[in-house]
Amino acid sequence: MPQLNPAPWFSIMVMTWLTLALLIQPKLLNFTTTNPPSDKPPLATKPTPWAWPWT
Amino acid sequence: MNLSFFDQFSSPSLLGIPLILLSLLFPALLFPSPGNRWVNSRLSTIQLWLLHLITKQLMIPLNKNGHKWALMLTSLMVMLLTINLLGLLPYTFTPTTQLSMNMALAFPLWLATLLTGLRNKPSASLAHLLPEGTPTPLIPALILIETTSLLIRPLALGVRLTANLTAGHLLIQLISTASVALAPILPAVSILTMAILLLLTILEVAVAMIQAYVFVLLLSLYLQENI
Repeated sequence: MPQLNPAPWFSIMVMTWLTLALLIQPKLLNFTTTNPPSDKPPLATKPTPWAWPWT
Repeated sequence: MNLSFFDQFSSPSLLGIPLILLSLLFPALLFPSPGNRWVNSRLSTIQLWLLHLITKQLMIPLNKNGHKWALMLTSLMVMLLTINLLGLLPYTFTPTTQLSMNMALAFPLWLATLLTGLRNKPSASLAHLLPEGTPTPLIPALILIETTSLLIRPLALGVRLTANLTAGHLLIQLISTASVALAPILPAVSILTMAILLLLTILEVAVAMIQAYVFVLLLSLYLQENI
């Protein structure tokens, strides 16, 4: 069975991990999901008062 | 030289350059990074939907710590799915038929789940070696059995994927050879064989997707026990 030939084992192992870690993972990180659409909240949010003066 | 049916699985190389690198690099080309827009291309939208589905399904049974594994498991799933499905095209090489690749993926990831469990909650993770409700006289035997089953997990993970894909490709080659060989002699039987080949190819598409899913699912199960 040619899969049991140990000659290319190391290079295949290294190439697999390099592809997974350096190619596919960064690509998948660029797939950002957006929030699902929701209705507007029924009440407007209260403005929080702040302690310092206007000027 | 005369080729045997197994020679389709020997890692191809041309002038010393391993061509398996091409088969490994190609799946990344099929997932173009979506641009920085609100609405992307249709391909990116579909792929985003699929990735979201996969990640959601994998993360549901995991606790908050397990969500750190989201990228690893999702990228593994995407890579295995794409490689398996691309291997069903004619004249392509399937890297996942190589035991080296599957063991390279299975062994470190399984070991990572095991070491995570032993490091963060050692008693709980060792407690998995004895199922609840075991009768007392059976305890030593069962601990040995459970330890063996634990240690054989990476081997099983790797060999399961290798064997399923190798067997599938081998069957496809055998039946298509039979169909071609029978064509001048018994054309009707040859056409029946081609019908069987069609059904087998549909089965292999299913197997390709299921085996990728099973690999990642089992890893997530091993992670659930240990995180």
